[in-house]
Amino acid sequence: MGLEAFNPNLVCHELIQDLKWDADLRAEFENDPASVLDRYPLAPDERSAIDAGDFRALYDMGLHPYLGGQFARLMYGNAAGPAATRAVNRLVASLTGEERNDDRTTT
Amino acid sequence: MAEIVLAVAASHAPGLAGLYEGAPERTKADVDQMYGALEAEISAAELDALILIGNDHLANSKVLEYPDFLVGMAKEHTGPFEWFKPWLNCRDYSLPGRPDVAEALLAGMAKRGIKFFGRRQNLRFDDNLSIPTVLCNLDTHGVPVVPILQNCTVPPIPDQRDCYAVGQALGDLIENDLPDGMRVGLFGSGGLSHEPGGKRYFFIDQDFDDWFLGLLEHGDHEKLLNEVTPERMERSGEGGTAELFAWFVVLGAIGGRSCRRLGYTAYDNFKCGVGAVRWEMSD
Repeated sequence: MGLEAFNPNLVCHELIQDLKWDADLRAEFENDPASVLDRYPLAPDERSAIDAGDFRALYDMGLHPYLGGQFARLMYGNAAGPAATRAVNRLVASLTGEERNDDRTTT
Repeated sequence: MAEIVLAVAASHAPGLAGLYEGAPERTKADVDQMYGALEAEISAAELDALILIGNDHLANSKVLEYPDFLVGMAKEHTGPFEWFKPWLNCRDYSLPGRPDVAEALLAGMAKRGIKFFGRRQNLRFDDNLSIPTVLCNLDTHGVPVVPILQNCTVPPIPDQRDCYAVGQALGDLIENDLPDGMRVGLFGSGGLSHEPGGKRYFFIDQDFDDWFLGLLEHGDHEKLLNEVTPERMERSGEGGTAELFAWFVVLGAIGGRSCRRLGYTAYDNFKCGVGAVRWEMSD
């Protein structure tokens, strides 16, 4: 689950970094994710995993875990508190295969 | 001949600012004590430049073109970067830069066979610079800063020996290339154990953290270089604990100096073991 599967060529890395750096793109992604995803040459299995919120599959394809954590926040909420908690829970649940209901307020 | 008059290292984590208010009182007291001590040390050192080394966190360069060391060359460093603000929930800040020192770092490292990259524009700062700034009040003290953001996470990663060698070159550069009388501080920003984005998101390895801090206090650099390997760090937090490579840059720059632990706290919601040290530079 560490960096052993890391693949620098994964297009998803560019998507995540662009979303972090471009507030307009991020707003568009929040309103209509498909329109943003369509503009990136994602491999079919990469796109399917994103659509399904399947982080485990993305990590197995080579997604960098640090960007995986940030992608969860881009998908499920970045604000400290319930949004970030939801993002962490979704990410960890996907990675472990176990539902997670940690209610800590996190950031 | 410039002189390293201050050498410190401390953890950064967004929660140190963003979740501080909700932390247990004992945790808050530990944080206040550690970063308050650092602030006092930095303020008393009357620095001409504070070189802060910390993990870039994939914040400034694309994965396909990722530098190992990126120097902030701006006249002014501002932060936090917009996307990180909800995590940090800290004040906006502005720090004076030292473009002349940044340029000397690039030129001097090239002369020594080490590739540093530089950027004249303001870098995107997350907790790497923001936490030391707001907890040590670097901005209100007007401390001139030269940030060096390093690759701690994108393979191949410069390991503890690589970073120590970079530190040795940095120490030589400060001594021989920077102006006479310049007072320079070094701040290693990052660690201790944590696993951002991994299965063990809230994991803190207190045994590892205590062991590592103890090694620093013992002061045997060869033992540190032999035992604090990337593999050992990964066992105590994948993709996060390796931020301690920043501390190895400081170690290499200053050589054998006595080290004092300023404190430690492990609060799981910070998702990071938090500790701080200072090295005695007047020995």
